[in-house]
Amino acid sequence: MPQEVGRQYKEIMKKYLESHSEEDLYVGQQFSRRFIEKEIAPEDVISIHKTAMIELHPELRNEVWDSFDFLIEMMIHYGLTLREHQSLIRKQEAIQIEMDVATKVQDTILKTKMPIVDGLDVGLVSQPARQMNGDYIYFLNGQNESSVAVADVIGKGIPAALCMSMIKYGMDGLENDNSNPRNVLEIINRIVEKSVDDSMFISMFYGKYDGENATFSYASAGHEPALHFNAKTGTFSELDAKGLLLGVKTDAVYEERSVMMQDGDFIAMMTDGVTETRTEEGFIEMEMIQEILAEVQDEPAQQMADHIYHKLAGLQNYRLSDDFTIVIFKKGTEKV
Amino acid sequence: MNYRSSVDIITEWDIVAARQLGRNEAKKAGFGTVDQARITTAISELARNIYLYAGKGRIEIERVTDDGMFGIKIVASDDGPGIQDLRKVMEDGYTTSGGLGAGMPGVKRLMDEFKVISEPGKGTTITATKWLH
Amino acid sequence: MNLQVELLEENSVQYYKVVGEIDAFTAPVLKERLAAVENIQELKAELDLSEVDYMDSTGLGVFVGFYKTVTSNGGHVKITGLNKRLHRLFEITGLSEIIDIEKKESEDNNGTI
Repeated sequence: MPQEVGRQYKEIMKKYLESHSEEDLYVGQQFSRRFIEKEIAPEDVISIHKTAMIELHPELRNEVWDSFDFLIEMMIHYGLTLREHQSLIRKQEAIQIEMDVATKVQDTILKTKMPIVDGLDVGLVSQPARQMNGDYIYFLNGQNESSVAVADVIGKGIPAALCMSMIKYGMDGLENDNSNPRNVLEIINRIVEKSVDDSMFISMFYGKYDGENATFSYASAGHEPALHFNAKTGTFSELDAKGLLLGVKTDAVYEERSVMMQDGDFIAMMTDGVTETRTEEGFIEMEMIQEILAEVQDEPAQQMADHIYHKLAGLQNYRLSDDFTIVIFKKGTEKV
Repeated sequence: MNYRSSVDIITEWDIVAARQLGRNEAKKAGFGTVDQARITTAISELARNIYLYAGKGRIEIERVTDDGMFGIKIVASDDGPGIQDLRKVMEDGYTTSGGLGAGMPGVKRLMDEFKVISEPGKGTTITATKWLH
Repeated sequence: MNLQVELLEENSVQYYKVVGEIDAFTAPVLKERLAAVENIQELKAELDLSEVDYMDSTGLGVFVGFYKTVTSNGGHVKITGLNKRLHRLFEITGLSEIIDIEKKESEDNNGTI
C-alpha cells in the first residue's frame, strides 16, 4: 500500500512541477488527507517525497538527497508526538464515557424529593459549570414542614461530586428531632470534619419552613445569605446567620434565626455561582439579583428560578464559571 | 552467528557513539533510511535516559534472526535507581514530565518489540527489537 | 490567568505578597508555594492580598488548608490587604472569626477611597 501512495504522490508532484498550477496544489491538498487516513508518519512522507524526487530528477546534487535524510531525522519526534497525541485523544474519549456514567450515577444517588407542603411553592435550578455538579440540594420533608439544605462544595468537578454523597448520607441519617437548622449543621460539620481532606470545605445553608405557623428558620455554615422578599413592603432583606464553613473546626457552633413568612413572600437561597456572576464588565451586584427576582415576584416559584437562571446565564453567554444553584420557597396566596 | 557489540554510556558523547553504532548496524542489516532514523532515535532516547538518570550503563546492539526474520535488538541496561511505577512510565503524556523512563512510549512506538524489567534500587533493563519487513 | 507569589521577608515572619487572581487555575501555584513552609514549627506567616482583586472558593480552600496546618504546628497566619469583596468572602464563610485578617487600609473606613 505505501508503494501505491508513493506512486500517486509522485504523479501529483510531477504534474505540479510542470504546471505550477493552483489546481494541482488543490489535488495535492486532497491527497494529503490520505497520508493521515493511512496513518503515514511525517518521516515516511519525507521519505516518499525523496523517493519520488530520485525517480523524477536523479540529476540533483547529493546535498539535496542528504538534506532529505536530515529532514527525516528531524521529523521522527514530530511523528512520535503526533501518535502520542492521537493516543491521548482516544484516552480522553474513554474518560468522557466514564464521566457520562459517573454523572448518571451522581444524579441517581443524589436524587431528592421536592417537598409538598400546603401553601408552600418551591422552585429550583441547579446547573453545573462543568459536567459534574459541586452544588447540592437536599430536601427533608416532614409532616406539614419542609427543610432544604443548599450546599456548595469548594472546588468543582469530580472531587466535589464525590464529597456530595457524604453529605447526602449524613442528611439521610438525621433523626426527625434533629432537624432544627443549627443541629443539622453541627452534625453535618462533624461528619465532614472527620472525613474530608484539609483543603476541601463545604458551605451550607439550611432552612426549614414550618407550615403550622408559617415560620422559616435557618442557619448558615459559611454560606451566602439568603434573600427574603417581603411582599407587603416590596423590599428584600438578607437572611444571614453566623457560622463557619463545614469541615474546618469540629466544635463549630451555628446561630439559628427565624423569620415569619407572609402571603406572597419568598425566600431565595443561592450558591455563589449566582451571587458571583461575572460578566465582561465585572461582577454583578446583589441589587441586580433582587431586581430580577422582583420582576417576576408574582410568578410561581419554579418560573422565578428559571427566569433568574436564564437572565444571569445569558449575561455570561451560558458559559457558567461556577455551579449555579437557586432554591425558592414562596408562600402561596391561593390557599388561604 | 549473532553479531553483538556494545557501548558503555558514561558521558554525553557516548550517546553519540551508541547512535553511530546503531545506525551502522541498522544500515548493514538492510534497514531503509527512515527505519535507520527510527532505530537511532530509539537508541538515543534509551542512552540519554541512562546518562541523565542512572549515571552510567550500557547499550548493546545485536543482530537477531527469528523464524526467517532478520532484525536488530537493542539492550539498554543500568544499575541505576530503577523505575518506581512502570505502568505510569509507559503511559502517554508522561513523556513531557521528564524523569527516569520519560520517552518510553516513544521508544516502544519506534520499535516492533519492547520489554522493560526494572527493580527499584537495582536498575533497569530495556530490550527493544525492530524487524526488517 | 496569572498569579505571582513573592516571598519578601524571611526573618521571623514569612511575608508573602500575592499578586493576581486566585481561581481554580492559579490556586495550585499558591498552594505549592505555601506548602513549602507550612510545616515549619511556630511559623509566623503574613499574606498580603492587597493586589488580589479576585479570589474564588478554590483560593479560599488554599488559605483554610494553610491556616489549619500552620495552626496545628503552633504557628500564626495573618491575612492583610483584603478588598471589599474578599473581605466579604471571609466574613460570610465565618473564617474572619478564626483567621487574623485585616482590610485594605484605604477601605478601613466604610470603603471610602
